[in-house]
Amino acid sequence: MIITIIVVLIALLALSCLLWFAKAQASASKALENPAEHIRAVDVEAFRNLIDAGEEEFLRTNLPPAEFRKIQRERLSAAVEYVSCAAQNAAILVRVADAGRRSPDPATAEAAEKLVDNAVRIRLYALQAIPRLYLGMILPGSRISPASIAESYEQMTRQVVLLGCLQYPTRGVQAAL
Amino acid sequence: MTAFHAQCFCLWMAPRLPHTLLVWLAYYLWIAPKVLLAVLAFLMFRRGLHRQFPMFYLYAVFQIVQSAILWTHPHFDETYTRLFSGGTAVSSALRFGVIYEVLRQLFRNYPALTETGRMLFRGVTVVLLIAGVGLAALLPGKSVSLLMLATDTLNRTVSLLQLGLLLSLFIFSRYFALSLRSHAFGIALGLGAYASVQLATSAVLLYVGSASSPLPNFITMATYHCCVLIWMFYLLLPERTAYFTRRELPTHDLEVWNQELQRLLQR
Repeated sequence: MIITIIVVLIALLALSCLLWFAKAQASASKALENPAEHIRAVDVEAFRNLIDAGEEEFLRTNLPPAEFRKIQRERLSAAVEYVSCAAQNAAILVRVADAGRRSPDPATAEAAEKLVDNAVRIRLYALQAIPRLYLGMILPGSRISPASIAESYEQMTRQVVLLGCLQYPTRGVQAAL
Repeated sequence: MTAFHAQCFCLWMAPRLPHTLLVWLAYYLWIAPKVLLAVLAFLMFRRGLHRQFPMFYLYAVFQIVQSAILWTHPHFDETYTRLFSGGTAVSSALRFGVIYEVLRQLFRNYPALTETGRMLFRGVTVVLLIAGVGLAALLPGKSVSLLMLATDTLNRTVSLLQLGLLLSLFIFSRYFALSLRSHAFGIALGLGAYASVQLATSAVLLYVGSASSPLPNFITMATYHCCVLIWMFYLLLPERTAYFTRRELPTHDLEVWNQELQRLLQR
């Protein structure tokens, strides 16, 4: 009897989740109206510094162990924030570029395709990096190198600029290129 | 969903409703979804959607044919039970095909995720299969016949698997902000809603026995009707695509991006 009730409850919970997804899908296009409002600034250099192995080694050798662990936790906590921001921006850019993929201009469609690819990779890296960063906070001595996120994020930024140039050529972004 | 469900429903409702109304309601819930599915299959064929979703089209056609065969066999005997159980097994297999079709369409648009997605869905399938088999072993259930018991157990296991796969699909696409085209989304939503209700009703049916409580059958039939309406809504309306309402990017965004790019070029 109890197992039957549990199965019924799981089924009802799953049905509620599906209805929520349907509602979220319906409102997804509305969120695209102003993507810039949702983009958060990410300082890639600062992020690189936080996850730099050399920097970590320097702190380890120059600080007392207790102090190092405290600082390392704070650094990794900040790195989690950066990764979360990058992942959130990537999610917005996936939607932005998805719209661009259907452009009749082949160059725009290709640039959008690359941007989607990269943004999706960032989400994937973030999924792997965040648990590792949290693990690093629990065990401050362990080695963590989510550097691929920083590289992908830079690449994604370049692709956003390129897509912006192709979609809005009159705005003069080519000057920067 | 079939004459079996309709018959069970009639037995249960007989003392509760005037006979004519009862018969009309039961037969409506049996026939109307199939008529709507026939209309949907015809319109899908006319619009060329059968080439985009061949498994779903096959599933719709099979459902119509199965109902027509069961309709011509009015006696609820062993032959009928065999036809019903065989049809349920084929329908379940076709629904897996439909889920695979939706997944394939999603990953075709996002090649970077193909490998991760494949691994994830394989893992989810294995876990759900173990859970389904475990549930079948823990709760063997009871029914009017061995074949109906096997059918209800199959329904419960398949519903658990399909619901889990579809929920994983929605969570996966939500996390990666992937856009499921509205046709595929509608198909997945309808199947998911049906699987969730069927999971609950088949668990109850196995607990109380198939014939003793036709209310779960009525709920399954009504849900199936809703699912067909969901499929019609998503497949027959023009596909919605995301677009920007803003024609130009705001200047401050371009400045930020220009600065970022110049910084990168100077490195």
